[in-house]
Amino acid sequence: MKKEITLKNNEFIFTLFKEYYFKNIENLRPPLEMHNREYGIMTFDSRVIRHLSFSKLGNLKAYIIQNVPSDIFCSNAYYQFPTFPINEKGWKGADMIFDIDLNDLLLPCQKEHTFYICSNCHVVFRDLTKICSACQNTKILKNTIPCFRCINALKKETKNLTEFLKKDFGIKEENMEVSFSGNTGFHVVVFQSNYLMLDSKARSDIVGYIMGKNLSPESLGVRNDKHGYRIKIPLSGYSYGWRKRIVQKMKISEVSNDYLNKFIKKIGGYQSFKNEIDKIASDLGLKIDPQVTTDIHRIFRMVGSLNSKSGLSKIICNNLDKFDPMIDSCFFDDDKNVDISLNTPLKFSIKGKKYNLDKSISTVPVSVGVFLISKKLANIASCSS
Amino acid sequence: MSIILGKDDLAKYPFLEEAGNYIRETHFDLDEFNRSEFLHIIERASKRIEFELIQGKVFIDLEKYDIELFTFLVSLIIMNYINEDSAIKKFSLFEAMRVEKFLVSDLSKEKDLTRKNLLISKVFRDLFQLDVELDPKNNHLFKMNISDYLIRATSFNEEEWKLIGRAVDNGYVYLDGDETVRLIRYEIYNLMYNRIKNMNITKIPEQIKIHAVLIKNKLAPAIRYSHTTTDLPPCIKKALELLNKNENLPHSARFMLATYMLSSGKSVDDVVLLFQNAPDYNEKITKYQVEHLAGKKGSQTKYSVPACSKLVNENLCYATIDCRGITNPIQFGRKNRK
Ligand code: SF4
Ligand SMILES: [Zn+2]
Ligand SMILES: [Zn+2]
Repeated sequence: MKKEITLKNNEFIFTLFKEYYFKNIENLRPPLEMHNREYGIMTFDSRVIRHLSFSKLGNLKAYIIQNVPSDIFCSNAYYQFPTFPINEKGWKGADMIFDIDLNDLLLPCQKEHTFYICSNCHVVFRDLTKICSACQNTKILKNTIPCFRCINALKKETKNLTEFLKKDFGIKEENMEVSFSGNTGFHVVVFQSNYLMLDSKARSDIVGYIMGKNLSPESLGVRNDKHGYRIKIPLSGYSYGWRKRIVQKMKISEVSNDYLNKFIKKIGGYQSFKNEIDKIASDLGLKIDPQVTTDIHRIFRMVGSLNSKSGLSKIICNNLDKFDPMIDSCFFDDDKNVDISLNTPLKFSIKGKKYNLDKSISTVPVSVGVFLISKKLANIASCSS
Repeated sequence: MSIILGKDDLAKYPFLEEAGNYIRETHFDLDEFNRSEFLHIIERASKRIEFELIQGKVFIDLEKYDIELFTFLVSLIIMNYINEDSAIKKFSLFEAMRVEKFLVSDLSKEKDLTRKNLLISKVFRDLFQLDVELDPKNNHLFKMNISDYLIRATSFNEEEWKLIGRAVDNGYVYLDGDETVRLIRYEIYNLMYNRIKNMNITKIPEQIKIHAVLIKNKLAPAIRYSHTTTDLPPCIKKALELLNKNENLPHSARFMLATYMLSSGKSVDDVVLLFQNAPDYNEKITKYQVEHLAGKKGSQTKYSVPACSKLVNENLCYATIDCRGITNPIQFGRKNRK
């Protein structure tokens, strides 16, 4: 019985994904040097197929239309031989990628729209659970329907990131691309040539910089010693980077030995100064996923493909301020309907329309159906048009 | 000064192309080293090598350029003849530090910006393909591309090289002369090392050979530190292994090794002995540092062994299954011993 529902859900989604790729294959955006990339897909029966390569966009499109994957990925790396095993591919550099995800932002509204769903029977819990009380299954999925506050916070973080990249890293606007991930985050891809050859260690240093991790008083010229502290103003000054941020935030108006000395004495010595730095750095630092950026062999969701966790499309955001994922990346029909049964009462909005559904069977537009079924919050009841 | 490097510069930087050209232009033949007027050059080269390899000090004496160029050449020939990897590594490191000293002082003291720029372009750009520029706003500062910086700085494990602590702006890192030069230490080192290794001398002049043999005999065979390595945590084992191969351990690894050995009951002298294979070993300095860690000098605080989490961050961790459940290398093997 359960299996039957899953099958029905899958069939419904599959048919719509198929239709999407048939009608909107032009959305699929090839990366730079597309023939030097590795491609991968996830199939509807959860198999991952990697090490694919396509020399022409036409071949890729044909493959997608034929196979209708649940998800499509493309390497951030450039390879000489994309189809070879990972160590023999001949790495030739990799785009620098950033992932800003709702999970890392820890917003107070999270709890209002986070659901824990049993992977087996799809019963929904509102509190974190390790085991399903209905079927004893221990695999619990976590899903969230971002609210407008979430989306705004994500956008703000993404904007801060692009500012960081421009101001500190000198990355030109035309060398980066911002996109909505299709689910609960934004991606930023940097393809400025001087950053492509950096290894994982160097990228990890960049991550630390952006996140504001481990900024030491020493780098601001304040050293711990047996008499408390010692000051040695760095020759390279305080007018750049984090040093500037800290000095500004602390309202240190004058960076002389004397002034700094008095300032640190006033706030209570080396340790207090260090605490203050940590606080500012964690406030101003950005919440990015370090694992994504340090991975130089990652396969990353492709622009224009559908995200099977939501049924939304990964899509470029040229105007972040005006972008609304629940409108702009939702490509399914509003004039056809589908009957679904919800696993939990829900309040949300899609394509500018507010929904407030209870646990019974509801008739909703296909676009809403795809979204809720992909989120595992509803099951297909029957199709109607 | 015009657009070419002065002869004084060649004396300090005898590895530059111009220096090689100079020697070539004199149509010098290696056999001429057997002539008595070259004896003082050979002796000077021997002294330089002994100073660095045996006393463990950087040779900073600077003579007229022709003397320097030939001394440098003879030193390389001697090292090539000695042909002992650990000795060549040590010599290369000291020569790199010698160059560093000159470079730092030239970059910080030179007032003539054209000359300063020329030096930067000859050493950094031509030799190491590193684009360094003078900061137009402050000519005591140098700027380089963030990625050029990272490629080099990430091989140092010290906190201070982390990008976040640096003056970063618009794609550039701003450094003072000291830092800029420090960044290419390993490149200078490699340059020296490769020069010696790749030398192909068919017949070494007799006079040079005599001196080379003398030095070779003086270089006491390196006493390998042997520790029964069964009970040591992988991170410590790895560090010892590198030391025994005469690799240059980063500061963080030395700190880990020394604090670990002290904590497991080794005496200061034992620990000092450990480091004698390090290419930049200097007994007095090492002893002072180890005593400091043991809490016998300065602040009187005894330093403890860094936690595994810290070592992981510093890329010093080589965890194996036996590391399960421990948070500090000092706990390694304790559970097994019950
Ligand atoms: S886990 Fe700890 S003890 Fe084991 S190798 Fe890493 S640092 Fe050493
Ligand atoms: Zn269940
Ligand atoms: Zn929210």
